[in-house]
Amino acid sequence: MNEYAKQRRKNKIKFGIVSVISLCVFFTVWYICTAVLHLKPDYILPSPVQVVTAFIDKLTRTAPDGATIFGHIGASLQVALSGYVLGAIVGIPLGIAMAWFRRVDMFVTPLFDLIRPVPTIAWIPLMILWFGIGLGAKAAIIFVSAFVPCVINSYAGIKQTKPVHLWVAQTFGASRREMLFTVAIPTALPLIFTGLRISLGTAWMTLCAAEMLASNKGLGYMIQVNRSLARADLIVVAMLTVGLIGTIFTVGLNSLEKRFVKGGRRG
Amino acid sequence: MKKKMDVEKMTYAVLAIASFFVFWWLITTFTPAKETTPGPIEVIQLLIDSFVTPIGNYVITGHLLVSLRRVLVGFSVATILGIILGIAMGTSKWAEAIFKPIFELLRPIPPIAWISLVILFFGIGESSKYILCGIGAFTNVTLNAYTGAQNVDPELIGCARMLGTSERSIFFRVILPSCTPQIFAGMQVALSTSWMAVLAAEMVGAQEGCGWMIQRGSDTLNITLVMVGMIVIGCVGMLLAAVMRVIERRLCSWNIMDN
Amino acid sequence: MEHHGQLKPIISMSHVGKTYLSIHKSNEVVRDVSLDVAENEFVVLFGPGQCGKTTLINLIAGLQLPTTGEVYVDGKKVEAPGSDRGVVYQTTALFPFCTVMGNVEFGPKSRGIPKKERRERAQYFINLVGLQGFENSYPNRLSGGMRQRVGIARAYANDPKVMLMDEPFGHLDAQTRYMMEAELEKIWQKEKRTVVFVTNNSEEAVYLADRIIILTNTPTHIKQEVRVDLPRPRQYSDPAFLEIRRQIEEICDDTL
Repeated sequence: MNEYAKQRRKNKIKFGIVSVISLCVFFTVWYICTAVLHLKPDYILPSPVQVVTAFIDKLTRTAPDGATIFGHIGASLQVALSGYVLGAIVGIPLGIAMAWFRRVDMFVTPLFDLIRPVPTIAWIPLMILWFGIGLGAKAAIIFVSAFVPCVINSYAGIKQTKPVHLWVAQTFGASRREMLFTVAIPTALPLIFTGLRISLGTAWMTLCAAEMLASNKGLGYMIQVNRSLARADLIVVAMLTVGLIGTIFTVGLNSLEKRFVKGGRRG
Repeated sequence: MKKKMDVEKMTYAVLAIASFFVFWWLITTFTPAKETTPGPIEVIQLLIDSFVTPIGNYVITGHLLVSLRRVLVGFSVATILGIILGIAMGTSKWAEAIFKPIFELLRPIPPIAWISLVILFFGIGESSKYILCGIGAFTNVTLNAYTGAQNVDPELIGCARMLGTSERSIFFRVILPSCTPQIFAGMQVALSTSWMAVLAAEMVGAQEGCGWMIQRGSDTLNITLVMVGMIVIGCVGMLLAAVMRVIERRLCSWNIMDN
Repeated sequence: MEHHGQLKPIISMSHVGKTYLSIHKSNEVVRDVSLDVAENEFVVLFGPGQCGKTTLINLIAGLQLPTTGEVYVDGKKVEAPGSDRGVVYQTTALFPFCTVMGNVEFGPKSRGIPKKERRERAQYFINLVGLQGFENSYPNRLSGGMRQRVGIARAYANDPKVMLMDEPFGHLDAQTRYMMEAELEKIWQKEKRTVVFVTNNSEEAVYLADRIIILTNTPTHIKQEVRVDLPRPRQYSDPAFLEIRRQIEEICDDTL
């Protein structure tokens, strides 16, 4: 290894150590503020130790909020994924159809633009009134939040098909339908994937809100109910779990995207 | 030719929206749904009425302004902090090493997940709303400022040095302006996240505001009110987005590739 | 090394070498280049593509430091970029967030020259490159040729002792290129400076140069120098012009 590489390695190690120290300082300060100085009572701000114990506790116990951590995760995943899959199944073909068929575009886009500005959260009360508190309402809410990015990105993906490629297909005698499947959709795949990625993110985010207001299990519910139970340590456990699963989704989809979507975004 | 296409687009749009309303009216007048769901006429009536008759403590414009105020305060503070932190992380390896781990730890937690903790900590007063809006905005702005600062064209920096600019000057006159379009993109997303956060916060613990309004509708089984609330919220969301786009066009006109 | 007249050369490179280090290998780009340039001389560095000409410009400019040897400009050793050496980049590198005026006055503003004076200066050079009327336009609205003219005005406005141009017309179409070569000739006649100009286009080299330095492929060093003593402005179709072109192309081919 030459000088240059050695220097780079040294820098990486140096900054890596700084990062680790920074994290340690963060946790130490947190610990001191709570367990040592008791700046705020336990039920408002837990110490890191309490969070960890609560987590371990939650692995098996269902009290006080009705399920173990796995029970909550399971409920959340069930809701999130069903709404998400539905949103994708409806949204992607709709987006493609809107972009490919001019009449569909002119008719559906104004309606879509009416629905789009309403934030997903604002749908919650309506969905509760229509579907009651249960899987139906939650899945419907998640559906709306996953549906919109899928449509938008599929639409943009098809729209970015270069006319030149379509002309080439035409000279080979492709019918309109064949062109859709052999040229347009493959070109659109990167953006469709982006739409899937964004939808999963918004679905997971909206899940929290949906569960807080319309549920009796799941991570969002856990966050909500433990407020009235004054168990801030469980709230933090739930928050971190939500974050962790969200990260797993993002990283997972990113690597899937890298493997299956060839050629990247360049036309 | 273009005029003809525009007219065609217009007709379809009008057709689409008209059929939507007709469909809505038909369903709520002639099918069993009329027991549960209000028709377009009732919704519009309540909408107009709400400008004069208060719902709770305010007329509809009052609720609007309250929600907007909360968003703007939280959003502005978070944006300034986010820009500073993001650019610091993007330009200084030390800042990056120190702050990035903590940032990456807290980032995946959606703003809505913070509601319970923030309410426990700060109560149901205004400050918790501001903070929640701030959390909603902060992550996006910081991230965008960070990538913006990292991606400043090194040739431009070399150029500035060649022209005799001091390092400090380079920061304010080259790096900062270069990041502006990216930061703006982040701010647009951040604004809509903040808007969602304030709605969530108001639905959980408030006495006024747009989010409170639809929650009140839900609690009193007043679907008409819920729908009126949704319409207003959607309009405000559109307005905010439009304002941001206009500002962007003025500030970042140099970024639009013409050739 | 040649000394022109008895005057001390304004640029002096002595046994300059540059080697790039990366994780797995080292890459020698420049080997033992010694070159003197006299004041107000127009020198063209001519060589095949990717041979290291840009590195040489960067070394004189101070944007990179030599691994061996030294570079002196106006008696001072080059250790960092500075306003005495103006650079015109191949990619123009205009500040996209500044107007034409903003770009041209960037240098003087950095050096603290008061507003009135630097505005006048910038305006003079904007007029000189033929862009009057475009002072408040942003670069994204200008054509390639216009952007390059802003780049030239910007470098000039900073009052450098030496102008370094790295294939400034490389990205332009042929017609614009001819126009810009003529423009540069006129501008240089009006505002004489020392110029080191990089190109791989023999026509351009013979049109502009007092002296052409022919470089080899990587690791680059000086193969030969050819003086161009034709009267200015030159004619592309002049037999003497074509003869020199043939000459330098032959020498260059030899070295590949």
